[in-house]
Amino acid sequence: MTAFLQNCFAGLSLGSTYALVALGFVVIYKSTGVINFAQGGLLALGAYLGYTFSNNLAVAFGVAVLLCCVSAALVGATFERIVLRRMVGQPPFAVIMITIGLLFVLEPLVTAIWGFEHKQVNNPWNIRTVEAGGLVFGVRDLWTIGLTAAVVLAFFLFFRYSSLGLAMRVTAFDPEAALAQGISARRVYATSWAIAAALAALAGILMAAGPGGLTPSIGFIALAAFPAMILGGMDSPAGAVLGGLVIGLAEALARGYQDELFSWAGDNVSVIVPYLLMILILLIRPYGLLGTKEVRRV
Amino acid sequence: MNGRRFRFGAALAATVLLAAACGGAGDEAGSGGGEAGAPASSAGFDGTTIRLGVLSPLSGPIAVIGQPLTEGNKVWFDHLNSQGGVAGKYKVELVQEDTQYQPDVTVQQYNKVKNDVVAFTQILGTAPTLAVLPLLKSDKMVAAPASLDAFWVREQNLLPVGAPYQIQAINAMDHYLGEGGGSPRSRICTMIQDDVYGEAGQQGIDFAAERMGFTVASTQKFKVGTENYSGQIGALAGAGCEMVFLTATPTDAGKIWGTAAQARFAPQWYAQSPSYVGALAQSAVAPYMRQYVTIASEGTEWGDDSVPGMRDMIERVEKYAPQQQPDYYFAFGYNQARAMTALLEKAVERGDLSREGILQASQELGTVSFDGLTGDYTYGPADKRNPPRSTTLFRVDPGKPFGLATLKYNFSSDAAQAFEFTKANP
Repeated sequence: MTAFLQNCFAGLSLGSTYALVALGFVVIYKSTGVINFAQGGLLALGAYLGYTFSNNLAVAFGVAVLLCCVSAALVGATFERIVLRRMVGQPPFAVIMITIGLLFVLEPLVTAIWGFEHKQVNNPWNIRTVEAGGLVFGVRDLWTIGLTAAVVLAFFLFFRYSSLGLAMRVTAFDPEAALAQGISARRVYATSWAIAAALAALAGILMAAGPGGLTPSIGFIALAAFPAMILGGMDSPAGAVLGGLVIGLAEALARGYQDELFSWAGDNVSVIVPYLLMILILLIRPYGLLGTKEVRRV
Repeated sequence: MNGRRFRFGAALAATVLLAAACGGAGDEAGSGGGEAGAPASSAGFDGTTIRLGVLSPLSGPIAVIGQPLTEGNKVWFDHLNSQGGVAGKYKVELVQEDTQYQPDVTVQQYNKVKNDVVAFTQILGTAPTLAVLPLLKSDKMVAAPASLDAFWVREQNLLPVGAPYQIQAINAMDHYLGEGGGSPRSRICTMIQDDVYGEAGQQGIDFAAERMGFTVASTQKFKVGTENYSGQIGALAGAGCEMVFLTATPTDAGKIWGTAAQARFAPQWYAQSPSYVGALAQSAVAPYMRQYVTIASEGTEWGDDSVPGMRDMIERVEKYAPQQQPDYYFAFGYNQARAMTALLEKAVERGDLSREGILQASQELGTVSFDGLTGDYTYGPADKRNPPRSTTLFRVDPGKPFGLATLKYNFSSDAAQAFEFTKANP
């Protein structure tokens, strides 16, 4: 039982990271209809900005986390303002290609500024642990779960009760009706990009604060978070969080019970579990667990 | 009429010059004693300068390895050129191309420069090397792979350096069972990367298990870039592992040891050389590594002036690349360049710096010494080659340059001596 709970805790921590990244995907998709392939690049940029604040500028780690999220948000909003605004009304495919272009720009930009070396972010968590009920909890993992929960809560409150959140929901639901009501689509799009970039940066700095440290490949996790978004439903923020947690738990449990249950299927079943789950869910619910079913008039 | 006479005269003069050039090399080669004449010009050699190719990831995530490796190549050749060059008279010039660690890009870059170089003093990585190997064979080109895979040993077109990964694993097991407190009854486990590099380590452990009489209690595989290792660490702890042999790269190794430290899982870890990078000795995992981790590699600790090869290398680093930080890969590149120099010296001795001449020289190249930086390598016909069987074990010491202190220097086990090398596709 202890091993099971320990694996569940690992899955929740991993799933929280996936949830943050997947939420970023969904925020942009929901408001603009575009899948942002640069999410991994924004995650890496945010993590390296956090490194600069924490190590080079010797800012307290908590402040560094805040500053890297704000900085990434500014980068996201600026990119939307300078590049994507010119693409309003263009086919989503063209905008998607631009996000792929942004990813290819961000990767060398990060290495040009910070180099390829393995870096360690100054942080108070590292490999510290606490014990409770016979279980060992990594402090970083606890913070990852806690911060994700707090961010998700704040996110839902923002969407439900703030005027900007309401504007984003209306724009996502019907852009033309939103415009008719005087809602600025530009402001909504810029806010979406800022939120997505901040979420990516938070995921990045939380990962970099772990024992693996920081390398340019940190953004690859966005690929693993992709099934979480699909599984939860591409236009559902709640689905992104649920998808992230489901994928994280499934991956950790498959890994934990690999030898007992899956040895017949090879050595790396946990790696394919997210994709198997994604295929399975899509077969049953093509719009994801909490996605909106598209209605077409014939 | 005058024009025709001029063309005839020019052709005659060219024929005489060509005959004189060929005769010079051939005559002196025939004079015996290995003292051939000056090598004729050929692709990559203009009679005074030898051009060597470097195919390395100079951008992208693996540039962190490619850059110091290439710097190691450069420092050696800068030093060599200051002494006059190969055989004291032919300067060396490097032609670098960025492979981004992509096999297809490596092939493109190879084709781009192959007619401008006599050989390649570096091709970094197993997959890129495998990608160009058929071309090397058809072009009769020699290349030095920056990789410790065992199957390079039996490839005539390759000029490897260092003891292959299998040897590191075998010698590590010998140490654990002899001086590390282990016995064949100990719970010995492995944690390996799910690729050809990981398989090389596992192959060494399996060979050692057969020779030394132990069994592997648990093997955990992982994909590069895995974010959470709790499952694997839990499985190793559940299997009661007292010793774990790790084959990984530094980012994953840091996460693995960090997860192990968090889980209070404290076996004796032995890790293959690429698992380590100096930054780990400055990380939060360092106290754990200091206590439980041993790194299997070669040579000696950075700055150890009791080893002649290291003393010389440090002097040359200070002279030609003072900004260079202590780095395992730098030393590897430096050794590669030394091996290539020995081969070129042999080719000059034979009076032939053409591709075919260099390939032939590689058949006749004997034992090359690296003055303690890595084990001496006996080259010659590929089926007779004998790579070094030695390993140096290091413990993690953040106070040392590169964070490693010698635990046991340059030793070789009977099992390592007995290991047979085969080709990639026999």
